[in-house]
Amino acid sequence: MLRFIVRRVLVSVPVLLGLSVILFMFLRLLPGGGPAEAILGQHATPQLVAQISANQGFDKPLYEQYFLYIGKLLQGDFGSSFIDGRPVAQTFLIRFPGTIELTIGAMIFAVGLGIPLGRLAARHPNGWIDGMVTVISLFGISIPVFVLGYTLAFIFGVQLHWLPTSFQLDPRLDIDPVTHFPIIDALLTGNWDNVLDAISHLLLPSIALGSIPLAVITRITRASVIEVSNEDYVRTARAKGLTNRRVDNRHIMRNAWLPVTTVIGLQTGALLAGAVLTETVFTWNGVGSWVVSSVQNHDFIVVQSLVLIFAIIFIVVNLIVDVGYAFLNPRIRYS
Amino acid sequence: MHLLSIRDLVVKFRTHDGTVHAVNGVSLDLDVGEALGLVGESGCGKSVTNLALMRLLPKPAGRIEGGQIYFEGQDLLELDESAMRDLRGKDVAMIFQDPMTSLNPVLTIQEQMVETIRAHRKISKADARARTIELLRMVGIPQPEARLRDYPHQFSGGMRQRVMIAMALALEPKLLIADEPTTALDVTIQAQVLELLSSLAAERNTAVILITHDLGVVAGRTQRTNVMYAGFVVEAASTPDLFSRPRHPYTIGLLHSMPRVDAQSGEPLIPIEGVPPDLRQAPVGCPFAPRCAWVVEECWKTMPPLVPIDRVAGVETTGPNVTHRVACWNVPTADEAVAAHPERPGFVPAAPPSAVESAR
Amino acid sequence: MATLVAEAAAPRVSSGLWRDALRRLSRNGPALIGLFFIAVFVLGAILAPYISHFDPTVGKLTDRYQGPSLTHLMGTDKLGRDEFTRVLYGARISLTVGVTAVLFGLIGGVVVGSIAGAAGGVVDGILMRIIDVLLAVPGILLAIGIVSWLGHGEVQIILAVGISYSPQFARLLRGSLLALRESDYVTAARSMGASPARILLRHMLPNALTPLIVQATLAAATAIIDVAGLGFLGLGPGDPRIAEWGEMLTDASSFLQNYPYLIFFPGAAIVISAIGFNLLGDGLREALDPRLKR
Repeated sequence: MLRFIVRRVLVSVPVLLGLSVILFMFLRLLPGGGPAEAILGQHATPQLVAQISANQGFDKPLYEQYFLYIGKLLQGDFGSSFIDGRPVAQTFLIRFPGTIELTIGAMIFAVGLGIPLGRLAARHPNGWIDGMVTVISLFGISIPVFVLGYTLAFIFGVQLHWLPTSFQLDPRLDIDPVTHFPIIDALLTGNWDNVLDAISHLLLPSIALGSIPLAVITRITRASVIEVSNEDYVRTARAKGLTNRRVDNRHIMRNAWLPVTTVIGLQTGALLAGAVLTETVFTWNGVGSWVVSSVQNHDFIVVQSLVLIFAIIFIVVNLIVDVGYAFLNPRIRYS
Repeated sequence: MHLLSIRDLVVKFRTHDGTVHAVNGVSLDLDVGEALGLVGESGCGKSVTNLALMRLLPKPAGRIEGGQIYFEGQDLLELDESAMRDLRGKDVAMIFQDPMTSLNPVLTIQEQMVETIRAHRKISKADARARTIELLRMVGIPQPEARLRDYPHQFSGGMRQRVMIAMALALEPKLLIADEPTTALDVTIQAQVLELLSSLAAERNTAVILITHDLGVVAGRTQRTNVMYAGFVVEAASTPDLFSRPRHPYTIGLLHSMPRVDAQSGEPLIPIEGVPPDLRQAPVGCPFAPRCAWVVEECWKTMPPLVPIDRVAGVETTGPNVTHRVACWNVPTADEAVAAHPERPGFVPAAPPSAVESAR
Repeated sequence: MATLVAEAAAPRVSSGLWRDALRRLSRNGPALIGLFFIAVFVLGAILAPYISHFDPTVGKLTDRYQGPSLTHLMGTDKLGRDEFTRVLYGARISLTVGVTAVLFGLIGGVVVGSIAGAAGGVVDGILMRIIDVLLAVPGILLAIGIVSWLGHGEVQIILAVGISYSPQFARLLRGSLLALRESDYVTAARSMGASPARILLRHMLPNALTPLIVQATLAAATAIIDVAGLGFLGLGPGDPRIAEWGEMLTDASSFLQNYPYLIFFPGAAIVISAIGFNLLGDGLREALDPRLKR
């Protein structure tokens, strides 16, 4: 097992290195002249260009720049934003918790609803429940996150006034940004209303973001349960006279779980990408909306660093998924 | 009273390709402690009959549409599901063809065996564990205590099948159904596993139904053998009698197409011409007619009943004096059986009705 | 256990994979509905100038923010432009850019996948690492990155989305090739003296093709969504006058409260065209894989 983990980590290193090279070149190959011109955009003047080039070291030879770049990365220096001058790492730590909270909320929605629905559909294949579940799945992958987001906002926010449609917390409330996790910060104030406020802000974005994982998880759960139900060992279990409940939980689900957990892990990574759109719709102050604003503002250093960070997170998540799967599947665990 | 009595069982599968007539009126009896062989090629209905007995047909496609199945006098088809569950594993046990896929890959051997025992008996986990060790030792697994926590994939094929046998016999069932138990195993292991099965069953006086497509498997291990074709029982006899005096054209064909140690050198193997029937058509007449050298006109119209080949006073369906019965309108003679083709002068196999029609 | 039923039913005479598949497809209700949706949008896009006489790029400011009516079936937007016309013209962008991006990704993926699958060894290793790098950046983020690098424009979007889709096709093809290489009938062909190129073309590619076709159709659905997503984030074709569904949504987002129809109609267009490709893709999957049973 340990060898498996080490091997997987080692494989990830060249991938990250390759990506870092590409991102490094990304900044220096932008159309519109050199990197300094691209960053400055319409604000470019010869003095500013020279200033920035000296500042960022754009005038040095490429390989030297690359080593500096990698060196800084390893020390946690991801550069600074051109717009507000703050280090990327610092702003990241402020904004990331919001995205994490959103991702967790979306996953709870997707898994909490998806697995039971998938099991239900599998129990009566081609029945009306299965049909309904199939339709829900279809809509889940066909409705873009931003369309669903606005639709939900319209129904629950504008028409019914049940839920808020912007921000992570009501700006009028007095909540200290200690951890930058809205719910945790609200809990720290000790005021239950604040916590409810944080949760109510989380609901709609979670549902919107979680719609795609919900569709995928439901489908894969259904397919997995059906496939496992037809396996020989399920027939053996029934031949032994075990109750349906026991067969369901011990024999079917324990095996059906495996591909589903892999999918859950992969979807978590995809949620990071989907957060970009969701955060824009709901004005959620996380890393996703930061990517968008940086791209729109030509803040390329931020874009470069954020893409790299996202990739690192995605790779780590996939690694955890692979290790988790190897652990859950005895055939791999004991081989 | 027979231990098991199947009467006129009819099983159909509804698929989107049509209805498959898998079992078309099968009857058989089995006494306590008897070993019955059920022989036939793939699709003849031998497995389906037994799955129907256990009421484990794949739902919703598989349906029992006729007949009765009496076990110890009780019609199993009348039982509700929980009574049936009670019976499975405890009174009637079944082992399947492929032990790799028949054992749950994510549960240890211990877990799978203990759950079987505790599903039917109120005993503690510790006692069940002890019984498991005992059972594994009985089937010849070395160092059972050490292997309890192993997973199925950590055993070899032969060992896995032994585990299945142990699991099946755990609650001392009265009937053990073995569906192609050695087909997926290496030839060298096959004999060992069959031997184990036979001796354990004999020790416990457990009745056995041994399902196989290989005639060699039933020789010496069963007292009686029934031959099945296209959902019908076509011949029923004691096993020695079946081998020495086969009477159904299909059985004759089977025996002549098998290489035998005691055959004259140079004797050719005679394959059976033709292909098995499409079970999506409802059977009309004898299903073997298209391939039969002894076919007469009646064969195309109605299915012959299973009747004794000799004139006897009464019919014994079980036991050492079982009556040799065959389902055929034109039973081959003893000499014809040895020659593998009809020897009556001037005999011409009857053509199918459709050919007769178009000839007119 | 399913083999019990399969064994009992005799084999049917085969009539060719494609003809069989087309027949199965024509009997698949949802797939036909999907095809219908796609056809509606394709025809709408092609025949847009004949269906509606309004100009999608200019409008009368006095006409703005009108709700749906008989003259303006889907109302008018912030500049008084007819929304229905804009949805029709928007289909042009979404469909052409989306489908072209998938085709671009498909061709790129197939080329890379074939080389990797056929060559094996070091070449395979390097190519797969490059694919891994592309896959390291999740989803739409890769497309966003590429568009921010290349700038605005339809071609740039096609490249961006296409590149972000090529890994899945490369992997799929390579996987098929690897599996087929070990398969029995390829071994049989090789034992009869067929050359590697002939084996690749005549035996392996046709079989590897079918999952690709299914995947490409399903990818078209996500491509339409991704293209709209880029437009939504302001990374669309660039000319603000051109009707593009994603940009129409951004424009309308501030007016959720007052003019929700401006969000509803382009949104519905995206959803329905995506549903169309998804249904068709699912139908193709069922039709082309003879072993699949529902």
